[in-house]
Amino acid sequence: MEQSVPELMARLDSLESSLSMATTINSEVFYWWCTALMLAIHAGFLAYEMGASRAKNALASGMKNLIAFAFLIPAFYYVGWWIYLAFPTGFSIADGSEAGLPWSANMGPNLTDNASGIFYAAFTLFAATTASIMSGSVIERIRISGFTILALFLGAVVWVFGASWGWHPDGWLTTEWGLHDVGAAGAVHTIAGFFTLGVLINLGPRIGRFNADGSVNNIDGHNMPMSLIGLMLIVMGFFGFLGGCIIYTGDTWMTIYNTPATLSAFAFNTLMGVAGGMIGAYLVTRDPFWMMSGALIGVISSAPALDLYYPGLAFLVSFGGGCIMPKLNDILVGKFKIDDAVGAVAVHGFGGVWGLVMAGIFASGYPNVAGPEISFVGQLSSAVVFMILGFVPGYALSFVLKMVGLLRVTDKAELAGLDKAEVPVSAYPESSVPAAFTNDPTSPTPAE
Amino acid sequence: MNTAPITSWEGAEAYFTFADKPALLVLFTLVGIGVCIWTIASMASHENKAYKDM
Repeated sequence: MEQSVPELMARLDSLESSLSMATTINSEVFYWWCTALMLAIHAGFLAYEMGASRAKNALASGMKNLIAFAFLIPAFYYVGWWIYLAFPTGFSIADGSEAGLPWSANMGPNLTDNASGIFYAAFTLFAATTASIMSGSVIERIRISGFTILALFLGAVVWVFGASWGWHPDGWLTTEWGLHDVGAAGAVHTIAGFFTLGVLINLGPRIGRFNADGSVNNIDGHNMPMSLIGLMLIVMGFFGFLGGCIIYTGDTWMTIYNTPATLSAFAFNTLMGVAGGMIGAYLVTRDPFWMMSGALIGVISSAPALDLYYPGLAFLVSFGGGCIMPKLNDILVGKFKIDDAVGAVAVHGFGGVWGLVMAGIFASGYPNVAGPEISFVGQLSSAVVFMILGFVPGYALSFVLKMVGLLRVTDKAELAGLDKAEVPVSAYPESSVPAAFTNDPTSPTPAE
Repeated sequence: MNTAPITSWEGAEAYFTFADKPALLVLFTLVGIGVCIWTIASMASHENKAYKDM
């Protein structure tokens, strides 16, 4: 049956409209599930930090994670999303950023805006992840109130500036220096790691961590298997995180810098990175905790150029990271007396730097859409910016909290256990936890 | 209380409650921030009391 030209045009319009709507819905669905998958990161942080704590501190450690997660969601809604949109050029406010203000028409149900909510959600989970990176390092002696203030500042303000500067199509680190960091190794991990370092300097070590002669005592957590499962959950959640780092346009994928990419590229290099980091960390430690931390190191090491690496190269870059970071942690603990209970400064802080620098070496010369090509100098300079951006606010705010008595618990509470001091329920109410599992210096183990 | 900013779905854009009353949205934001600050202050107070009672 023949149809007239106007009828055919009407059908074509209808098909185009349907296709456009399908693209929009696919995009929403994709980021919805990336966000859901990222929740596994928080389940993982919860399990691994509780496991890494002595039994007397298990719930207080977990409370920290739950509180940070809950507070980060409104905080990122109130200020974080606006900061991200407002400051890509530095400290001047960008046109159009008012769409991110919490009273904007875009920041709620809106039939003409399918993007703001879903991207706010994904970025909120990025923010909560950033804050959680700090939480494991400070277990067993930080006040929950002080930690919450630090987590809010890191997750809703500090890293967002880094993301706006270096993980944004118009970010000045990319347009001026050619930064390429598709998986946010710098914007998330380096900033969080160095913020944590600043906090740890003011917080100080756990009682009993170092002897008078400077030697180090191991303080084992009460449940290593739970920590290992937690770390594996974090790795799983990173597939949601990294999926959220790529832009779905309907007919193709783009990096956050508007360069073309494929999700397949991310799949190749994420998996090869995980494996490289695990094997590297195993080689130098033989320790299952560090092997699983090595998986994170592997992801972070390859993250800046997940879209570009030959998978065999990503494996080697991550293997190198997996070999180096545990040793760097040993130096931080043994030489500088930084009591990082889970090694987050090395894994995330220096792991991010390693990833950025490696991309400067092995992805050098790739063109950017805006700004100069990827270069070693651009990557290294950007890494320094991220280190400073993390460290200075972390040190300054934790110093203020220390001065007003909000940073660290009392010695008495630390020795008795934070669960007993602060938490109205017990982790293991029907069992008597042997002193050997609490590492309580006031309670000798039976062998003693 | 009529909270709807629309009277018809035809041509509707931002349709969330009070979308047409920005002053109220600012107020909700400020109250929400206040709730967070108050809870953190309460958290600190709980900790101080807990340490004192030990």
